[in-house]
Amino acid sequence: MATRDKDMADLSVVGQSVYRTDANPKVTGRALHVGNIEMPGMLHVAVLRSPYAHARIKRIDKAKAEALSGVAVVLTGAEIAKMPGVDAHFGPAFRDQPILAVEKVCYAGDPVVAVAAVDRRTAEDALQLVEVDYEQLPAVFDVLEAVKSDSPFVHEQHRPAKAFADLAHVKAGRQSNICYHFKLRTGDVDKAFAEADRVFEDTFSSPPAQHVPMEPHVTLVYLDEHARLNVWTSSQSPSYVRTELSATFGIPMNRIRVRVPYIGGGYGAKLYAKLEPLATVLALITRKPVRYALTREEEFLTITKHGVVTKIKTAVKNGAITARKCEVYWDTGAYAEIGPRIGHKSGYTSAGPYRIPNVWIDSYCVYTNRVPAGAFRGFGVPQVIWAYDSQTDLIARALGADPVEFRLKPALEEGEPFATGTLVHSFGIKEAIRQAAQAIDWTKPRAVQAGTKRRGKGIAAGVKAVLTPSISGAIVILNADGTANVLSSTVEMGQGSETTLGQIVAEELGLSVGQVHIVQPDTDVTPYDTITAGSRSTYHMGNAVRMAAAKVKAALCEVVAAKLEVAPDDLLARNGRVCVRGMEERGMTIGEIFLAKFGSLGTTLAAEAVCQPTAAHMDPETGQSEASRGGGMSTDRRPHGPGNRPVGKMHGVLVSFGHRRGSRGRYRNRARRSSATHQRRRHRHGDQSETL
Amino acid sequence: MTIRSFELLQPRSLPEAVEMLREHGDDARPLGGGTTLVILMKQRAVHYPFLVDLQTIPGLNGIGQESDGLRIGALASHRMVELSPVVRRLLPVVAEAFGHIGNVRVRETASVGGNLAHADYRLDPPPPLLVLGADIGAVGPNGSRRISLKNFFRGMYETALEPSEILVDVKIPAPPADSKAVYLRYSTLSANDWPCLGVAALLTKENGRCKELRLALGGVAPTPLLIDGLEFTRDQSLDDGVVDKVLQKVEEQISPSSDLRGSEWYKRRMARLFVQKAIAQLNGDQG
Repeated sequence: MATRDKDMADLSVVGQSVYRTDANPKVTGRALHVGNIEMPGMLHVAVLRSPYAHARIKRIDKAKAEALSGVAVVLTGAEIAKMPGVDAHFGPAFRDQPILAVEKVCYAGDPVVAVAAVDRRTAEDALQLVEVDYEQLPAVFDVLEAVKSDSPFVHEQHRPAKAFADLAHVKAGRQSNICYHFKLRTGDVDKAFAEADRVFEDTFSSPPAQHVPMEPHVTLVYLDEHARLNVWTSSQSPSYVRTELSATFGIPMNRIRVRVPYIGGGYGAKLYAKLEPLATVLALITRKPVRYALTREEEFLTITKHGVVTKIKTAVKNGAITARKCEVYWDTGAYAEIGPRIGHKSGYTSAGPYRIPNVWIDSYCVYTNRVPAGAFRGFGVPQVIWAYDSQTDLIARALGADPVEFRLKPALEEGEPFATGTLVHSFGIKEAIRQAAQAIDWTKPRAVQAGTKRRGKGIAAGVKAVLTPSISGAIVILNADGTANVLSSTVEMGQGSETTLGQIVAEELGLSVGQVHIVQPDTDVTPYDTITAGSRSTYHMGNAVRMAAAKVKAALCEVVAAKLEVAPDDLLARNGRVCVRGMEERGMTIGEIFLAKFGSLGTTLAAEAVCQPTAAHMDPETGQSEASRGGGMSTDRRPHGPGNRPVGKMHGVLVSFGHRRGSRGRYRNRARRSSATHQRRRHRHGDQSETL
Repeated sequence: MTIRSFELLQPRSLPEAVEMLREHGDDARPLGGGTTLVILMKQRAVHYPFLVDLQTIPGLNGIGQESDGLRIGALASHRMVELSPVVRRLLPVVAEAFGHIGNVRVRETASVGGNLAHADYRLDPPPPLLVLGADIGAVGPNGSRRISLKNFFRGMYETALEPSEILVDVKIPAPPADSKAVYLRYSTLSANDWPCLGVAALLTKENGRCKELRLALGGVAPTPLLIDGLEFTRDQSLDDGVVDKVLQKVEEQISPSSDLRGSEWYKRRMARLFVQKAIAQLNGDQG
């Protein structure tokens, strides 16, 4: 901690509490959101969804809908499948999700027919004129039923996508509902169970939930004067959306422009492609701007968190955990979405952050006829923590051990190997457990409580997997007046990235936060970024903008060093000047440096940097991996601004934890889930815990 | 979702409104605050080509004290009832029940008449109005009549109103002297959700003993339910034995169904618990 404090003392912007740059436009309602954009001749989309969980489409009669005045197009999946050069399916891990259902529907809510019309009401009127005949098929709703050999199959074939490096090993499967299986074998589990004093065996389940971002999904697509595809979308992954649209429609990447303004929350719901493929195909057919916006009800039929069943068996000998066997079943719903990545990244953490010599993990990503499940705050990790650390607690109590001490003993130390073999760095789990215990006065006996609302104490520890390898690129452009523009594809969705990145660049260049403008994601302009998710932006994009800014600073220092005849290393950027460390009156303003370098103030100084900090090598068969420095587990404990942001984000995390005890919606093949969706609980601010 | 187009008819008098409803039959519905009807139409669950806007009729939203109690116009908003000084003074339990519904924006819009005529089994106002012995006024093609609230709810979303009949007011008699009333609402999901169940109780005491106990429950039967057969509590002190018998009466008459707000088993448990709480609260220090 001592070195950290010394580091912090050198900082003038990072670590300060600054006013959020997006606060004013958001609070005053001036912030641009996709839903605010109106274009001449814009069409509106409504989608007819399947009432059945699994059914073959026998006939679609859309003649009456097409005849309705104001309707531009009524489209079916069969028609998309016939479009030359167009892949009717998309998806980040498997190309299994149809833009509109082709031949069969796989969940109640699956989009079947789309209408684009002059306004939303006309489009919905048209949908009521469409007739669809279905032949119902046997459906499966339970993840443990779905893995049985006699279960109905949701998909007849599995077709891997190849968009992400970490999913390159995903294989085309045989007939099965299991689309991905992560396997880890360390030590000799059977022997440890045979020699154990006690064996604990439990099953934990965690229900699906919806993210409920304040702004539902919305996408606007149009063709510009060069017939280039222009996409405005509420997305956490603009770079990926461009890649996906290019692959789906065979359009070169430089003819696709994806822009993301401020988005009203994401929580994982807005990762990868969602509305963009359908809005694109409708724009390509009609040659008109097309807006596709989900209703709140449709949100619940579009993406959820994974429901998970975890079977966990633990061997204890001489009071210590000697083996853990985890079977994790991820219900990924009708389409794999990012389920395989979740089954992998969260699957390998499912034995916990503990020193356990023998570990056996099977993590299965499983298709069912339910709403597709994808990323949701923590990427599956909260579901497995719920399982393994509930059991850790049960074991501690059964052994009569103190739950804090029982966790501290096997908690991994800095540099020790994790179950995968990865050495953990910047881990801090022991310190975190101790501090958490201290914060709730763990050792103090509870006072005798009266009344019906009683307070208990509990502790749980968990480890979050990180997304590796991943990449962030950034460009910093310094203007002659000492202001800077930063090109970054990180999406500001309420987490405060714009302010944080601004602070980092301001720190590096010696500017104030107000002098740095973060350009919003625009794939024509801002470089590639993997995704805005997984708490990765401050580290990855933060380093990219810092390195780009450092290159700009180096160019400035070179000029000043030559002018003042000092070594570049002795120079410091502060308050819009580059000056000599310790003699800060000696230096040059940025304007003076530009004049010296370019002979003009009408220019800019730009630099690009890419942050790809980890090259991890993992054997997909064994899960054995080696990570070079910087990867694996990292905990950045330095607050970039001790203002509202971390507290706000912590509130969000706690709200998400509430889903562990949420109630489960019921699924039947006949019944549409809409009644459940209307009634499903949404966490409100008042429902959060009182104290943090 | 959007609403299919419809025509908004704006009558200037009750007879004109009744005539419009009669003329269009099943194609028309009266529109009060619209907080439920408009949502159902937006979801395209129902469609009415004609809505008869009762808000344009003057005098339907008054709240006032009358010789025998309190009269609330059908078009008074929930918020008006919640904040009305006269309601708060005479029948605080009614002001409180209306103050529980939804959120302040809904309460500013939703009408008292619409709430009752919708006949949702979970709504908050019916239980307290039932224990207070309220009745409603209706105007239709055959003139006007009064219907006691106990006979008003006929089934899930079904009332005693005839076609083209409009609910115009609710009258609540002055509560018996020495009586106290309470409404307890229990929500299992978020605070502004429909309740899992609601329990209203009215207790009149004489010489420290029960003179009359009335109970009504919402959310545990297809309609809001006034519990029958509590006459045995007369002149009893409400000790555990008597309360047990009351609970037995409640158990016999409720028929909750399982949903997201609780299973049948759970709702039965909670009905017992909240009836006990309500009685204990009214029975005060002797309970």
